[in-house]
Amino acid sequence: MIEVINPAWLSMVVDGGRYGHADIGMPPSSALDRYAYTALCRLLGYAAGMPAIEVMGHDFSLKVNTDLSCAFTGARVAAFVDSVPIAPWKVFKVKAGSTVRVKEVTEGLRYYIGFSGIIVAEKVAGSFTTNLECRFGGYFGRPFMKGDRVALKDVRDAGERSIDESLIPSMKGPHVLRIIDGEEAGSFATETLKSLFETDEDPWYKVTTKTNRTGIRLEGRPLEFREGADQSIISEGILPGVVQVPGSGQPIIVLYERTIGGYARIGHVIKADRDLLAHLKPLDKVRFQRVAREEAERLWSEKTAWYDAMLRQ
Amino acid sequence: MNTMNWTRYGEEGIRIVFGNTVSADVHEKVRRYYFFLKSLHLQEIIDVIPSFTTCIIYFNDQMTDADTLIANLQEKERALPEIAIPAPATHTIPVMYGGQYGPDMEFVCSYAGLTPDEVIEIHSGTVYTVFAVGFIPGFPYMGTLDKRLFVPRLEVPRLKVNEGSVGLAQLQTGIYSFESPGGWRIIGKTDRRLFDHGQEPYSLMKIGDQARFVPL
Repeated sequence: MIEVINPAWLSMVVDGGRYGHADIGMPPSSALDRYAYTALCRLLGYAAGMPAIEVMGHDFSLKVNTDLSCAFTGARVAAFVDSVPIAPWKVFKVKAGSTVRVKEVTEGLRYYIGFSGIIVAEKVAGSFTTNLECRFGGYFGRPFMKGDRVALKDVRDAGERSIDESLIPSMKGPHVLRIIDGEEAGSFATETLKSLFETDEDPWYKVTTKTNRTGIRLEGRPLEFREGADQSIISEGILPGVVQVPGSGQPIIVLYERTIGGYARIGHVIKADRDLLAHLKPLDKVRFQRVAREEAERLWSEKTAWYDAMLRQ
Repeated sequence: MNTMNWTRYGEEGIRIVFGNTVSADVHEKVRRYYFFLKSLHLQEIIDVIPSFTTCIIYFNDQMTDADTLIANLQEKERALPEIAIPAPATHTIPVMYGGQYGPDMEFVCSYAGLTPDEVIEIHSGTVYTVFAVGFIPGFPYMGTLDKRLFVPRLEVPRLKVNEGSVGLAQLQTGIYSFESPGGWRIIGKTDRRLFDHGQEPYSLMKIGDQARFVPL
């Protein structure tokens, strides 16, 4: 068992996502940094699909009441077992009665914690992940609170694995998000589309505080519609990474909590850059860069090579 | 099926467009194709999202690529006319209209030039079709609303709409299956549970179902 001493800003149970029911509006609600989540599963010797804890914010701490192994991936953190510093992206051992604490997040936003035992959590439609809005899945459908006790089953020794530094992605800003054209890219003014190509201008956006697991709201120079272009569309299915533009011209990047949307889609954040979305925090600077589909595919095959190398560790 | 238009949708999606207007005819094509896709049980298709005019297919790009999947589906779709489509269910939704349950009733009345009783009579006098379920689990997008009740969405969406709220937006009516942010004009509330994560089928409504509202 583990006991949550301090849940930080937001901590909850996640996994690879809830799929197969988008036709009735059930979103994936998955871990937002999928590479980090997959690496965590790998470190602890589980197949992807095991429940893990996703945390935002510093001062997260928990106490364990049994000897076990543990690992952190995702955002770079300064973490300690009692007062001994531990390296992230590496399995470490914790003795019963010890406290694991994250003092500081030094790069990125969300980090993942896993154990060498399965977190006992509610499984809904094949997934342990928490749907916060609808309050189901995970730990009673809610974020962790101080004093929560979480059972672990099948605790075992997870060995000594670590992920090489060269396979830990950078989460340093300012962030460039590459996009391929969306269905309504043609509804935007030529100048607006051009500004997404150019790096010398100032098309930087700021991540606003109205950002959460549902979407990232940006603020900056409004993306202008062409004269006479429809600003709303007939609502239809959307996938994670869609960049929607409401009438205000301020873009919203859709994450993993929505299945249908009704705003113009200027682009799709490419798959290779999508994990970065987990690490955008209020006030971060972000810009878009339009790329061709072939380039997106090339970048994804590069990321696939990272996955392959990471899974061989 | 020559009215279908296939395009890629991001990197792991395929978008099939069946028309560009909201109509019973386009809806029927979407629905038929959705049930066809479900009937194939293809492992490479992770999710299908049917809505007013399109079906979005989310596929596993480790198992196949878009061109192969499209070719495969176009080959299989010859069987489309023969597939069995489940009969739509009919739902009766009791509603408390107006007052504390319908904070936008006053706006709808003044926008439409109708009395609350007239709004209730018109809204509950139509059998609606569920055109899509989503944005949040179990939320039915239903139509088509009587033109007299046409209202624009809120300019600034509410941060919190109560669970069970019955709303209007343009020519649609919907029910908030969960408390969530939202921009529809709320005219009433139901206590029917639209989504139960503990029990299949999780959603009360699915695409193609019929529903009518009964004033309490």
